[in-house]
Amino acid sequence: MSSSIPRHRRFLPQCSSALLLSLICLSTLRAASFELPPLNSPASTEHHVGKVVWADLVTPDLGAAERFYGGLFGWTFQTIHTGKSDYAVALVNGRPVGGLFQKAIPAGEHRQSAWLTFVAVRDVDSVKRAALAQGAKVVSDSKSYPSRGRQAVLSDPEGAVFAILASSSGDPPDFLAASGEWIWSSLLARNPGAEAAFYQQVLSYDVFDLASDDGLEHVILSSDDFARASVNAMPGDPARRHAHWLNFIRVDNTVDMVAKVTAMGGRVLVEPHVDRHGGQVAVVADPAGAPIGLMEWTNSDSKVEPK
Amino acid sequence: MNVMRGRWMAAAFGPLALTLLNACAVTGVGVDETVGVDYDAGYYEPWGYDYGGWGYGYRVGPGRGGDRRRDDGDRHGNGDHSRSYRPAPAWRPTPSIPRGPRGR
Repeated sequence: MSSSIPRHRRFLPQCSSALLLSLICLSTLRAASFELPPLNSPASTEHHVGKVVWADLVTPDLGAAERFYGGLFGWTFQTIHTGKSDYAVALVNGRPVGGLFQKAIPAGEHRQSAWLTFVAVRDVDSVKRAALAQGAKVVSDSKSYPSRGRQAVLSDPEGAVFAILASSSGDPPDFLAASGEWIWSSLLARNPGAEAAFYQQVLSYDVFDLASDDGLEHVILSSDDFARASVNAMPGDPARRHAHWLNFIRVDNTVDMVAKVTAMGGRVLVEPHVDRHGGQVAVVADPAGAPIGLMEWTNSDSKVEPK
Repeated sequence: MNVMRGRWMAAAFGPLALTLLNACAVTGVGVDETVGVDYDAGYYEPWGYDYGGWGYGYRVGPGRGGDRRRDDGDRHGNGDHSRSYRPAPAWRPTPSIPRGPRGR
């Protein structure tokens, strides 16, 4: 009986059904993975251990955050909706600079929206082990993301939360940040010496202890002969403060930007003032309360002494 | 008829099984349990802490390079800061941030 049906007519429906089933199955499973953009495109083999290479904002209102940061820095966004995650990749001139991640604040809890700082490493799991041995804790365990690499979120011995990231596409090359891009990171801590020792032990930084005019301790963490971050004693009553990382965006005019922040529903935490490099810096909070630094940087090589 | 059914099964479920295996390798299911299928790196800070209070001379930014280092004789106003890290040798100038243009 089967031999009476032409061969091509027998296999056509079989193959079509198999193809359909395969496509359904593949699309379902592929949709389950969370796809972050690579840090580098095209990929490279360049690595800069200790460099701050990414930042993620956690916020209860993704739409409001997009409006604020888009209006302030001209960022555009590429939204990723996967499973339970609502995430927007922030772009400057088409280049990804950070992520905005919507996460509900658990009912009955009062929590503070924040930017999470990602530091480049070569091997997340070995750095995590070294950090734990030096007093760190795991906030979110190591995970791999297609195209991005492997990452983990830790808290340092004083409780400042940071992430480590081993990029599978290499680390971004060292260049002067453009306006709207991250230019600097600072850790504010109770005991900068002990914190600098922790990060030096874990990430092999060179540490430069700076002279200071305020009687407080400030050090620079360096790798590849570039300053990567500062560690600073928190001013004021340590009991009323908690250790945290603060990232700075390069801006053309800090004073103008601060005015824009307040007009858009943000707050000023630290008024514009001249910092070590001779340009103005300020710290503001977005409408959800996440602190973010603003920093001017002129291309001039002449150093202007702060007054 | 049995031959027909066998071919159907092979044609339909063979690729399906292969696809499942391939997809599992892509997403890490059954291969590596630490592959992220949802994003969970977001972290909320505790609420209710003070911010600011950056008084005169409080500077957190990078210098332009070669910034003055702390002398051993420097006195710090907030307690004992005996170094627990290894400071870079005194002859090394304090570095600045990368200054080169993009794509150099």
